[in-house]
Amino acid sequence: MKRISACLRWLVPAALIVGLVTSGAAVAGAGGAPARVGPATLNASGATFPQPYYEEVIGAFKAKESGVTINYAGGGSGKGRQDFSDQVVDFAGSDGLFKPEDTANIKGGEFLYFPTVAAPVTVSYNLKGVKGLRLSADTLAKIFQGQIKSWDDPAIKAENPRAKLLSTAITVVHRADGSGTTENFTKYLTAAAPGVWTLGSGSTVSWGSDTQAGQGNSGVGQVIKSTDGAIGYVDFADAKALKLQFASIKNQDGKYVAPSTKATSAAVSKAEVKTDLTYNPLNAAGKDAYPIAAPTWILVYKNQTDNAKGDAIKAFLNFVYGEGQKIAPSVDYAPLPKSLLDKAKAQVKQIAVA
Amino acid sequence: MTAPAVPLRQSTRKTGRELKNGLATAFMVTSFLIALVPLVFIVYYVLQRGSSIMSWSFLTDDLPFSNRRPGGGIWPAIVGTLVITGAAAAMAVPLGVLGGIYLNEYGGRGPIARVVRFLAEVMTGVPSIVMGLFIYTIWVLPRKQDGLSGFAGALALGCLMLPIVIRTTEEILKTVPDDLREGSYALGCRKARTIRTVVVPHAAPGIVSGSLLAIARAAGETAPLLFTVGIAFSPNFNVFEGSNTALPQQIYINAGTFGGFEAAQDRAWGAALALIVIVLAFTLVARIFTALYTRRAEAT
Amino acid sequence: MTTDASSLPKSLTKGSRPPGILTDRTFRVLALIAGLAVLVILALIAIYTTREALPWFREEGFGIFTDNWDPAKNHFGALGLIYGTLLVSVIALVLAVPVSIGIALFVTEVAPRSIRRPIVYTVDLLAAIPSVVYGLWALLVLVEPLASLFESVSDATASIPILNTIFADPSSSGRSFMTAGIIVAIMITPIVTSITREVFATVPESQKEAALAVGATRWEMIRGAVFPHSRSGMVAASMIGLGRALGETIAVALIIGSSQRVTSNILGPGDTLASVIANQFGEASGTHRAALIGCGVVLFAMTIAIGMAARAVVARAERRSAGTT
Repeated sequence: MKRISACLRWLVPAALIVGLVTSGAAVAGAGGAPARVGPATLNASGATFPQPYYEEVIGAFKAKESGVTINYAGGGSGKGRQDFSDQVVDFAGSDGLFKPEDTANIKGGEFLYFPTVAAPVTVSYNLKGVKGLRLSADTLAKIFQGQIKSWDDPAIKAENPRAKLLSTAITVVHRADGSGTTENFTKYLTAAAPGVWTLGSGSTVSWGSDTQAGQGNSGVGQVIKSTDGAIGYVDFADAKALKLQFASIKNQDGKYVAPSTKATSAAVSKAEVKTDLTYNPLNAAGKDAYPIAAPTWILVYKNQTDNAKGDAIKAFLNFVYGEGQKIAPSVDYAPLPKSLLDKAKAQVKQIAVA
Repeated sequence: MTAPAVPLRQSTRKTGRELKNGLATAFMVTSFLIALVPLVFIVYYVLQRGSSIMSWSFLTDDLPFSNRRPGGGIWPAIVGTLVITGAAAAMAVPLGVLGGIYLNEYGGRGPIARVVRFLAEVMTGVPSIVMGLFIYTIWVLPRKQDGLSGFAGALALGCLMLPIVIRTTEEILKTVPDDLREGSYALGCRKARTIRTVVVPHAAPGIVSGSLLAIARAAGETAPLLFTVGIAFSPNFNVFEGSNTALPQQIYINAGTFGGFEAAQDRAWGAALALIVIVLAFTLVARIFTALYTRRAEAT
Repeated sequence: MTTDASSLPKSLTKGSRPPGILTDRTFRVLALIAGLAVLVILALIAIYTTREALPWFREEGFGIFTDNWDPAKNHFGALGLIYGTLLVSVIALVLAVPVSIGIALFVTEVAPRSIRRPIVYTVDLLAAIPSVVYGLWALLVLVEPLASLFESVSDATASIPILNTIFADPSSSGRSFMTAGIIVAIMITPIVTSITREVFATVPESQKEAALAVGATRWEMIRGAVFPHSRSGMVAASMIGLGRALGETIAVALIIGSSQRVTSNILGPGDTLASVIANQFGEASGTHRAALIGCGVVLFAMTIAIGMAARAVVARAERRSAGTT
């Protein structure tokens, strides 16, 4: 009798301690932030222009919400819009808007454009010993159309009197895949060099026959890097990572501006934002504005049929508009200006989860 | 006594022939060396660049979200290759072996067998990317968000493997001596039982070898996977659900789209080394089985 | 001696229907179904791909055979792609067939018996390397040196009449028809060698020895006894190599330069039916997608045609040799 009560006296506190410890562990979660959303897997594809940013922000988001897996496949804005129309992916990245005639093929009904970040499209080149090249829209148009064929052309020399330009042949590099970067670059040329640029604008354009093509932004960067005398358009993050030289472009105010996130923010803040949150920061006014600042959006269907996926998408977007905006400059992307950011946050609420 | 005036082979016409013969021999040897050069180069580069990044963590870590930066590993791709190729083999090998059995044991020279044989040969000529497009159109698109999966890739690879397995099985079964079959019939076994207990066991090493070679071929294919499996950054053991990735796809992405970044290049070489090791392992085992089979065939 | 019913094997004493016939029949049906699976799958492939490609045929009509591949303007004339496919395959054959014949002769006639099998294994090792690894190696290792080589060749032949149009304008990145042709040549060498080797092995020893007995050199023996016997076999091997070359997708997609037009400049960028699908299908929609699937159909048709021609050549050779032996 005495022995049993002695054991019991140890048993009760022991049970209390064990109970406290296990409930504490349950509350704290297993070695990480409490997962509130998911489990869900989101498949996405699309623009390679913001891909360095999305990769970073997806990684940060997964650390926070371990139940959500996001697979962003890249492939170009064209692929993103096509996969989105076919409903093969849960959301898509695109630097360009749907053409009116393509909206009929979108199988999932109403959708929303969510702007995420903006960044400069650099004009990168490979020329030994030539730094800080300065180019205007007219010269750019003539180069990319094949009218200016070598680096020592008088038009280039006029803008760069002190540069040592040899008679190296110019090799134009463009995208092989359907690209929002191409679309934004050609839209800029159409707006800024209207009399000179004849190839129009779009996610693919009829480039000349002796040009080179690359897959994705980094593919173009790779071709430029390995080809002497090459010039092409590459997103800022990839151009920096590949250590390419990029040109300063003459903006509307007549100043030559080098690509940077600050110059991009200057351009974006001047752009007019429509009700569906689309906007056009290309060829912006303002002396600090970089003229080829490109926008990018995430496309999401308004009516989400899968609860877990719908919640995951909303959580991801909210993350992009919260911590994601702070991450952007560290990977060379410009965060959205406050007014646009507030509108975007409000639009997230429009996503209806079943 | 006069010594022979001229050695027998010394006329100019004969040295012309000798010259041609020597040139021809030189050409033949050079051809072999020419074929060796790319092989040596490729093996050297894959070994050297691949082993510089190879490590236990490279083989077991998840794929990094960013291909541009070093780090991470290719474990999801290894899992994907094994799981997807395994599923493809599970579908194509039994079907293919049965088909080969039909062609050799039942069909013979009949009209159906002739058509099937012809079609199997035609099917080996279908470009692998067309297989991928086909599966994308009839399997992935109708399933919308659930379409991209390891299984879709396995279907495409299975279509690729099927005609190969059928033809190699038929070839092997042809070499099984008829005496074995007739002996079995004489003892009262029916055809199915004969096939099951006599023919197939005798031909088994050869059939296994043919199937392993088909599997090795499928493991190295990229095009059928391009539009069917999607992408994944952590291992997905479930072949039926969720997108997946595979070693050939990772090599293609890292070399093609991200090839300007050294980290991606290293990753591509590492994945190539892993892939070649897997493919060679299957090929080697297949060769062992072939040797086993030829020894058994010579014994009978 | 009377046979007791109980001493007979059970199988012979059971009822009127012989035992095991049900499993026999089901097995036969199963095997038949398995064989027909090929028929079904192939029919599905043919039907679905042609159906998806119909919008292309309808929109362009015979325009599909014009040299005008321009997705931006919604034009999809595939002549440049068909030309590119054939050009790369021809370059590959020109490079691979002589080398393969040389290797096959080396193995069957020249090499000492002991090293024959290792040589065969080594050449077969080339076949085991996946296409994407060839593409990786070509892209990261081969392309830049080739670019400088092409420069030198182009400069050297600048004044020679025909050569200066073929080697006119070398691609500065090294991605070109020629590079693709070289890589595809390496890839088809094992299969062409293997078939040619088997063909050479069927030459009757008596004929070879007869030639040697009358004093022929080895080369004369080969020309006199081996080649005539193997002519159609070598043609068949080349056609099979051609079929493989036509379908080569991934390695070509990485190094061909994505330029869809007909040009005599083989050192410049190009594209093939298979690689344009790999590069453009992801973002294609509407007519563009139909056109790419249509390219797959055209490619498939070309491969079937080559395959059938090869079989016809082999069949004719078999008939001929059946008559002579």
